[in-house]
Amino acid sequence: MKKLVIIPAYNESGSILRTVQNIRNNAPSYDIIVINDSSKDDTLQICQDHGIPVLDLPVNLGIGGAVQTGFFYAFRYGYDIAVQMDGDGQHDAAYLEKMEETLLRENADMVIGSRFIEKKGFQSSGMRRVGIRLFTVLSGVLFGKPILDATSGMRMCSRRTIELFVKDYPRDYPEPETVCRLLRKKYKVIEVPVIMKERESGESSISLNKSVYYMIKVTLAIIIERLR
Amino acid sequence: MSLRIQIILLILLAIGLAVIINMVRKRDLELKYVLAWLFADIVLVFLVLFPGMIRSISRLLGIYSPMNMIFFLGFLLSLVIIFTLTVALSKVTANVRRMSQTIALLHKELQELQAEYKTEREQESDRRTSWDGSK
Repeated sequence: MKKLVIIPAYNESGSILRTVQNIRNNAPSYDIIVINDSSKDDTLQICQDHGIPVLDLPVNLGIGGAVQTGFFYAFRYGYDIAVQMDGDGQHDAAYLEKMEETLLRENADMVIGSRFIEKKGFQSSGMRRVGIRLFTVLSGVLFGKPILDATSGMRMCSRRTIELFVKDYPRDYPEPETVCRLLRKKYKVIEVPVIMKERESGESSISLNKSVYYMIKVTLAIIIERLR
Repeated sequence: MSLRIQIILLILLAIGLAVIINMVRKRDLELKYVLAWLFADIVLVFLVLFPGMIRSISRLLGIYSPMNMIFFLGFLLSLVIIFTLTVALSKVTANVRRMSQTIALLHKELQELQAEYKTEREQESDRRTSWDGSK
C-alpha cells in the first residue's frame, strides 16, 4: 500500500527539517512530499540539500492550493492514503499509525487528528476555541455529525477522498469546509485523539486581525456547502 | 440636447468604439469580455441620436427625471460589467492554480529525469575509461 505525507510549507525553514525527521523516525513506511508554496525564505533550498522530495510552486497558491497540489501528486502516483501534516512541527507523526489503523479498520474516508477528544496538549487560544466550537455546532446541525476539531490540519484521506480533493479544494482556510463536503457526500469521517504542540517557529496562516474574516468566510462556506 | 453637444458626444462615442475594436483587432482585448462595452457604446449612440427616446423610456419605467434614468441605467450596466469581470477572474484564478500545480509536478519529474540521465552518462564514461585503462 502506497502512503504519502503531504507537508504544505510557506516560510518554514526553521522547522521543516525537524518535521520531516519526525516523520522518518515515527512513520518510516510513509513517503514524504513537501509543497513549497513560493516561500520567501530558503525552505526549498533546505529540502533539496537534504534530499527531501519537494514540489516547488511557481506562484503562491495559499494553503488550500498547496495542499491540493499534494493530493494531485498522490493521485498521479497512485497513492492509497494521503495524510496532510503542517510543516511547523505542531503535529506528531507518532499518531499516524493509530490513524491509519482506524482508517483501514473502519473503512473510513477521512481520519482527523483531533485535539478536543481527550483535551490534552496545546488547545489553541481562547478566541479560536470559540470559533472551533461554532464549527462543531454547525457541522452537527447542518450535516448531522458534530466534528470536534474541524480546523485540524492533521487529516488522513482515503483514495476516494484524494480523488474528490483533486477536483475541487478551497483556496484558503479549507479544513472545516472540506470536512463538511465529505459529510454531505456521506463519506465516513472519524476523529481520533491526538496531542498537538505549540508551533515551534514560523507564523500561523491566521493572524488575529484576520480571524473575523476567517470566521465569516468559513461559516458562509459551510452554509453554501449545505446548499450544494 | 443642443446639436453641439450631440456632435461632441457622437465623436467621443465613435472614438471609443474605434479604440475598442482596434484593441480587439490587435488581440489586446478578448472579444468575449468586450461585448458588454460595445453594447453600451451602441445604446448610447442611439440615445444621443434620438434624445426623445430617453424621455419616453423614463416615462415607461415611471422615472420622473430623464437624467435620473440615465444615471440609473448607467449604474446598472456598470454593475453587470463588473460582475462579469469577477466571474472571469474566478475562472482565471482556478486555471492559474491548476497550471502552477502541473508545473510543480512536471518540474520535479524533469529534475528526476535529469539526475537519472546524469548518473547514466557518468556510468558510461566510467566504463569507457576503464576500457581505455585495460588496453
